Amino acid sequence: MAKKTYDLLFKLLLIGDSGVGKTCILFRFSDDAFTTTFISTIGIDFKIKTVELRGKKIKLQIWDTAGQERFHTITTSYYRGAMGIMLVYDITNEKSFENIIKWLRNIDEHANEDVEKMILGNKCDMEDKRAVSKERGEAVAREHGIRFMETSAKASINIDRAFNELAEAILDKTAGREPGDHVDRVTVDRRQQSSTTGSCCNK
Amino acid sequence: MPDCGTSYENEVADGYNIRNVKCSFCNCTILKQKLGKFTTLEFDLPLMKQIGGAYNIETEKVSLFWLVKHMMTFENVGFSNTVDNKKYLTCADCDAGPIGFHDLTTKESFIALSRVTHR
Repeated sequence: MAKKTYDLLFKLLLIGDSGVGKTCILFRFSDDAFTTTFISTIGIDFKIKTVELRGKKIKLQIWDTAGQERFHTITTSYYRGAMGIMLVYDITNEKSFENIIKWLRNIDEHANEDVEKMILGNKCDMEDKRAVSKERGEAVAREHGIRFMETSAKASINIDRAFNELAEAILDKTAGREPGDHVDRVTVDRRQQSSTTGSCCNK
Repeated sequence: MPDCGTSYENEVADGYNIRNVKCSFCNCTILKQKLGKFTTLEFDLPLMKQIGGAYNIETEKVSLFWLVKHMMTFENVGFSNTVDNKKYLTCADCDAGPIGFHDLTTKESFIALSRVTHR
């Protein structure tokens, strides 16, 4: 049973202001079939997803901040081992877009310097409430040399594509490197800081 | 017990799952064949659909599981926040669950045969 069932393991994080839809990107609450369940009450901590890129089987471990962003407690420990970061803002919320700059600074301060980043303008299904144009999103991404995409977790637009692209970018960086065995030991007993399981998707 | 009525004999060979383990609702692949070890233990697993609300968790006794020693063996799976040193497992695509649990002490995961389909 010691045989490995994958080639690479990438740890990815979702970062951004509260309410931009990070949790919905991770936890879809697909429709109300499951919303009254036990699971939606306790919330999802992380997910493991398998993708195949260029013949390589890659495991993605995707983490949400579990509301820590509210208390500005996202520091080194959360970023530890992260190889990719999804920086999420809400296209209907100007402030969340402005704060992308703040988050970029936070990442520079605490994360590994060669972490791969991607900016996501989420809730693109809410065109009538749009406050941030796609061009502005693209401009900020270009300025920082980061990939950009508009997504809708609710309408399942570009979510899988975004994760695939981020994984591919990491793969480009790690190409030729051996999968490090140390990444197998993943700590999952992250202390719970709050019970913020209320969802923006239930509105 | 919900898993006593169904025969899973044909799902096990050499102690492992013959077929892929999939979500019963969306067909997402949770565990590939021959990676889960057939295990029996008694566990009170919360029902997928709760009626009583958050403070009155209804459970059922489940006894047949696929044991997965390392979490990265899973193809696609979600881990809930921690409750009593355990994380509950969900479908990574549609979030249906719990389909099993993960023990933080032993790092072992258990998928309930009765909460998934085999294909």
